[in-house]
Amino acid sequence: MRDVGLVQTTVRAETATRGRGSSAGSEERAGVRVELVECERRYGVVAALDRFSLTIEPGELVALLGPSGCGKTTALRALAGLEQIDSGSVRIRDVDVTALPPHRRELGMVFQAYSLFPNMTAIDNVGFGLRLRKADAKSRRQRAGDLLDLVGLSAQSRRFPHELSGGQQQRVALARALAVAPRVLLLDEPLSALDAKVRAQLRDEIRRIQLEVGITTLFVTHDQEEALSMADRVGVMASGRLQQIGAPDEVYERPVNAFVAEFVGSVSRVPATVGRDGTVDVLGRRVPLPSPQSAFAPGATVDVLLRPEAFAVRADPCGLGVVTRRSFRGPVLHVAVAVPGQVEVVATMSATAGADIGVGTAVSVEPTGAPLFVTEPRAGVA
Amino acid sequence: MAALTLSPRGRSRAAGASSGMPAFRFGVVTRSVILVVAALYFVVPLVASGRYALEGAHGTYTLSAVTALFHDSALWSSLQLSAEIALGAGLLTLVLLTPTSVWVNLRMPKLRRLMESLTLLPLVVPVVVVVLGIYGAFPTTVVGSPVLLVFEYVVLAMPYSYRAIDSGVQALELHTLVDASRTLGASWPSTFRRVLVPNLRTSLVAAAFITIAYSLGEFAMASLLSFTTFPVQLYQIGTDQIDEATAVSVFALLVTWGLLLGLSLLGGRRRAVRGSGAPGPAGRPPVDGVGADLVAEVESVLGHGDPGVPGISHLRGGGT
Ligand SMILES: Nc1ncnc2c1ncn2[C@@H]1O[C@H](COP(=O)(O)OP(=O)(O)OP(=O)(O)O)[C@@H](O)[C@H]1O
Ligand SMILES: [Mg+2]
Repeated sequence: MRDVGLVQTTVRAETATRGRGSSAGSEERAGVRVELVECERRYGVVAALDRFSLTIEPGELVALLGPSGCGKTTALRALAGLEQIDSGSVRIRDVDVTALPPHRRELGMVFQAYSLFPNMTAIDNVGFGLRLRKADAKSRRQRAGDLLDLVGLSAQSRRFPHELSGGQQQRVALARALAVAPRVLLLDEPLSALDAKVRAQLRDEIRRIQLEVGITTLFVTHDQEEALSMADRVGVMASGRLQQIGAPDEVYERPVNAFVAEFVGSVSRVPATVGRDGTVDVLGRRVPLPSPQSAFAPGATVDVLLRPEAFAVRADPCGLGVVTRRSFRGPVLHVAVAVPGQVEVVATMSATAGADIGVGTAVSVEPTGAPLFVTEPRAGVA
Repeated sequence: MAALTLSPRGRSRAAGASSGMPAFRFGVVTRSVILVVAALYFVVPLVASGRYALEGAHGTYTLSAVTALFHDSALWSSLQLSAEIALGAGLLTLVLLTPTSVWVNLRMPKLRRLMESLTLLPLVVPVVVVVLGIYGAFPTTVVGSPVLLVFEYVVLAMPYSYRAIDSGVQALELHTLVDASRTLGASWPSTFRRVLVPNLRTSLVAAAFITIAYSLGEFAMASLLSFTTFPVQLYQIGTDQIDEATAVSVFALLVTWGLLLGLSLLGGRRRAVRGSGAPGPAGRPPVDGVGADLVAEVESVLGHGDPGVPGISHLRGGGT
């Protein structure tokens, strides 16, 4: 009941706050397209953004995923106008905004650090942007109240930030960002300071709200589970470049390079030899090469990347592998197996199938199908 | 002089406020003794001065010194001059140093050290040297105007006032607050006015207070440049009529005390809670004693507190 009501108030408040500015108040709600085109940003020799391009479709939630220092925050801040770019352009709804300062870009942003204004109550924080837009006190309170309601904090509206928990502060920050009916929502690891349970809960809530409001959203995270579970599309970044962008299952199942394969989900890297007619010998078994990768010459030494579920592990007194770790996770069992060549593979199996496998058990390990990815052997590793 | 009169006052108040802290828990007897000794140290000269001011011939008491004081127009005009200069210096300090500190912390963090040592210079250079420099550097028309003193006091009080402001700025999550405000649609001036100033209020009041107190009490510079400010006039009265001078001293003390009280109230009226960075629900205790924060701030700047932890009063009692 609360949800349905809010969408309507949102529309009303938007037309009220934007006022004369736009002709079609409710069409704007469908979200806008956002583009970063060939953006470059260097800090000395470090390229935080290296010809970085990204398009976010109207109403879409894109998660940028990547290791620390790969340039995710820089990309987001470039979009917000908080960071200058050396070259390239930023377009919002087909208008070049590269030269616009942040306060004229009409974006909402939630930060990793707690960013509420300490001198204002929750409701005043949420109403801050509306006050700047000269909304009258009554509609401001109404709108701020609705948004606090949306994030489930109506009861705390009179509290100061220091009287709120971390999760509550981030909810208020989200409400504050949405209050001005921004064209784009930017989230920079908003959950990273929270504990696991609150994080999972708030993650679902952000997604619900985002869908409800229909706002184009860029979400930056280094937590792949967060990215995969929330986003319409996931963009994987490394050293300032976008490596791959696609639906979560696409990125997970069809990585375009070894970096993406290793960064998203977990894989084991196993040395192998390419055989004839599109096969590869892995741990003594011949399996097909992944279809887009049949270009390796027969006899070439390669590394193959395999998901944990792509191994068949059986207790076998004559097997060459030895279980080194075993961790029980409810229905599934994770085992790490040392195989000859100083390689360790991680495999999962059903808990029942692994009942007779413990640390020290000799096992046989075989791949069950085509590997996820085949790559040049890593330098220095046999 | 006024600054000197006031700082022990600030200290004793802050000490009273922090007596709840376990680290400073003395026995009741020890505490009372310390309190009494300290009180005597301040009260005895005060009472003596007061008595002396009110004492007439042959052990009678008279208000004549006090009435003389109120009819002394030269004294009033000197007080007015001092007040104007002090207010001007206080304002100018805020206008100049707040943006500077914010800018340095936001955009040029590498300059922070340099700024710190730069602002210490007035402590190192003797006043006489500064005065000679002024005579050398400015035409006589400038040297003749008391506006000169406004600038001088801004500079001379800077070692304290800049620190007061800077520690406040450093205690803020400056980058995040500014970014948040900017993305919400606030221009720079608006961010400054609506976000930074309210959250820096305690520090700003402290800086203004320090500058004002310094300006009200400064003698050497004013005297060397031949301006009849309040302390200079006081000194002159003192050389002529000693009983009136004591009355004036007591009066001056009350004035500065009142000023401190007023500013403390201003600082504590709707105390800004600084720093949103603390994770978790524990947070900070709500408002403690009126103006205790300001006192702590002044105190930390003057070196009695721990300068590394601005606003230590957050740690004091008054749990949620
Ligand atoms: N102000 C700066 N000065 C110098 N180098 C910077 C600055 N800001 C970022 N960098 C560098 O740019 C690169 C990208 O930084 P960025 O903050 O975008 O990384 P990130 O992907 O957000 O990392 P994290 O996950 O740790 O937040 C890093 O190598 C970082 O060291
Ligand atoms: Mg980051």
